Amino acid sequence: MANNNSCTYREGPLPSCVSLAVPMVPVQQSSQPAYDSAEALAKGTLFPGLDLPFMDYVATGAVENTPLAELMALDFVLQELALYLDTHPDDAEAFKTWKSFVALAEKGRKRYVELYGPVTRRDTANFNSWVWTEDPWPWDNGGKAGKC
Amino acid sequence: MLMFVYEKKLQYPVRIKNPDPAMAKFIITQYGGPDGELSASLRYLSQRYSMPYPALKATLTDIGVEELGHLEMIGAIVHQLTRNMTIEQVKEAGFQEYFVDHTAGVYAQAAAGWPFNAASFAVKGDVIADLTEDMGAEQKARATYDNILRMADDPDVIDVIRFLREREVVHFQRFGEAMEIATSQMDKRNIYAVNPAFDKPARK
Repeated sequence: MANNNSCTYREGPLPSCVSLAVPMVPVQQSSQPAYDSAEALAKGTLFPGLDLPFMDYVATGAVENTPLAELMALDFVLQELALYLDTHPDDAEAFKTWKSFVALAEKGRKRYVELYGPVTRRDTANFNSWVWTEDPWPWDNGGKAGKC
Repeated sequence: MLMFVYEKKLQYPVRIKNPDPAMAKFIITQYGGPDGELSASLRYLSQRYSMPYPALKATLTDIGVEELGHLEMIGAIVHQLTRNMTIEQVKEAGFQEYFVDHTAGVYAQAAAGWPFNAASFAVKGDVIADLTEDMGAEQKARATYDNILRMADDPDVIDVIRFLREREVVHFQRFGEAMEIATSQMDKRNIYAVNPAFDKPARK
């Protein structure tokens, strides 16, 4: 890839001459700038350069500030960073960010499980009985600690 | 460990207060329709096996698994739009055809009633053909969500659909980057000289 530092975060460089009949999308140059986790979840992407809404359908701040939403936000950042790292495996800075968010998400998950119940079946090992079956399930009303 | 581990939470909250079978009637298409989330997950998770490049195996796996999460979100939307609906609402919404076959269950079908069909996606076993299909698929899903946004009037629904639509834009970018990773390892003078998924082992 050509190195072109004049590109903004909304753009990516392309080589000046490319073979015919080769499909090409510019490569995202950096995992920065990035939204914070709550804003990323609300917008549907971690990356402002990829935040391309339809008409005026923008995030309305509808994601309430619940422990569940916090966990969703941290897990969402991990998903976004994972997809970025899949196509940018040598980006050391992004990998460092990934590691710090893994630690945050693990902490958040532990806190959530203690308060509201298991996220995975394995989490039931921290309880006195098989609480896995308890309502609500995610489709009921957004799950446990989801404000209805 | 299992191949897949279920997490008892959605990727993004789905909390719809009011039943609206008229809206469920067309949103169901993202559950079992041609450009829906079931098609998307099966497309990517099936294309992985013949993909020779490690970065692309990872991309197909990680996006395919996310699409399964989106399938669950669409299922939750359809469920919440049809639970507690009255027979009067079924009739007013023109929801009788679906209701008589599925009551308030969630069934994988397109908006026009066709049951889910694997013919709605492809696995060609050819690197460039499959990735081109994936980029097109993300655009078709994005356009479907645009069309849903044009017709939806419940803010609870609009918010989730807007989130799912944005994911298609991000996935398109990743498949575009995956295409660059693949073609950069092919013969520059003629990237169509061979199909690296069949003709020879990948170089990297």
